[in-house]
Amino acid sequence: MRADLAIAWAIARKDALSEVRGRQAVGSTLFFAALVLLLFGFALGPDSRRLAEAAPGLLWLAIVFGGLLTVARLHQLETEDGALDELARYPIERRAIYVGKAVAGGAAMLVLGAVLLPVGAILYGLDLVAAGLALPLTLLLGAIGFAAAGTFYAGVTVRMRAREVMLPLLMLPVVAPLLLAGVKATGAALAGDPFGELAAWLQLLFAFDLVMLVAGAAGYGYLLEE
Amino acid sequence: MPQTTIYSAPPRSPLVPIPGVATHEVARLFGRSAALAGVSLQVERGRMVALLGPNGAGKTTLLRILATSLRPTYGSALVDGIDVAERPELVRRRVAYLSHAAGLYDDLTAAENLRFAAVMLGCSDPADAAASALAAVGLAADADRRVRGLSAGMRRRLALGRLLLARPALLLLDEPYAALDADGIALVDRLIGRWRDDGATVLVASHQAERVTGAADGWARLAGGLLVEVGGAGVSVPAVEPASAPSGTGVPAAGTSR
Repeated sequence: MRADLAIAWAIARKDALSEVRGRQAVGSTLFFAALVLLLFGFALGPDSRRLAEAAPGLLWLAIVFGGLLTVARLHQLETEDGALDELARYPIERRAIYVGKAVAGGAAMLVLGAVLLPVGAILYGLDLVAAGLALPLTLLLGAIGFAAAGTFYAGVTVRMRAREVMLPLLMLPVVAPLLLAGVKATGAALAGDPFGELAAWLQLLFAFDLVMLVAGAAGYGYLLEE
Repeated sequence: MPQTTIYSAPPRSPLVPIPGVATHEVARLFGRSAALAGVSLQVERGRMVALLGPNGAGKTTLLRILATSLRPTYGSALVDGIDVAERPELVRRRVAYLSHAAGLYDDLTAAENLRFAAVMLGCSDPADAAASALAAVGLAADADRRVRGLSAGMRRRLALGRLLLARPALLLLDEPYAALDADGIALVDRLIGRWRDDGATVLVASHQAERVTGAADGWARLAGGLLVEVGGAGVSVPAVEPASAPSGTGVPAAGTSR
């Protein structure tokens, strides 16, 4: 177990290093996600109430777009120069590979969320301080679930020719409960949880994370076989 | 404790050593064409055997099956008596494979690539193991250069260095001289000698027969996915009943697709 964690950490670190050093990819993802927020902000106009109502959905839309690019790229790193085959040949547990890549994906999504939240706050006039810890917690649970699902489905599509098309097609229906809970929890947190529904949405996010992590770790090994 | 599946056909005397490599009618289909169409081959432990044949002969497919990168469609392949399809996790601890692709991460440095590999291979001191391997392949001065900036020959050397991080029982080298200059070629020969001294079984696939057969104990020639000839010492075709392919499977004629 300890060896698995060390291996998962080494994989996550390797992915993070590659991601940070491939600055163009990181920059374009952040720019693309921020652009989504900006364009919708212009489209909705200056009505502050309308903007605040739409903000949770638009924030998650930007996170999903950016997250899809991120999880796909983390697997694309492995296909360059046959690195995936090499990784699959190491005498290590497959679940450690999955956990390592999910950790890297989750960390990248947290960075994405940390950049987009202030951007969203500026564009849509959101009070992040008033939302308190509920907002970072929602983001954390959402990032874990999205990375858990994204890592698995990026593994499913990594050897496909049309993987850029297939990844969102296969993955988005599965993460629909996560997105619903993420949007609702974000909305409740920003509004001060007037109906006391925040805890229920956070529980749904947590349950999704747990199920996806267990299923992903169990099934990922089969995806590496050719 | 998981049980190791030991090669059991044909029945062996306990005094007969288990071969380093044994394949039985091993075949691999890609779609409807067979890259490998039923190869039975046995290599004694500690021997170096050259796999010869033109492009598309099935050499790489056979090596990839032995390296657990590909599952055989039919037949079986065993490394030190362990079935590669049934217990790949045990086989991976015994095998090192130099493939066509270097399998490196472009945005990491040479040292970072080897340190990562050392962690994956369970080295107790990954940094030290990586430094030693880099020195052994003549890349110590390039340790902090990103792989993206290395030449094809240097990438090949780095991939060779990764093989030095473990002490495998079976070395699978696919066109090991490709992209290397004279010094690099001499390095490969030195490393092969070192592995042989350690008692490893070595399979070298190459279409350059004259280069590899000189150093090898024996050779096996493949063509169109079939074993057509074996010669020299340490390599043989096992005298077993051919494993029957399921009826109606219609294994097509050997092809070249990979």
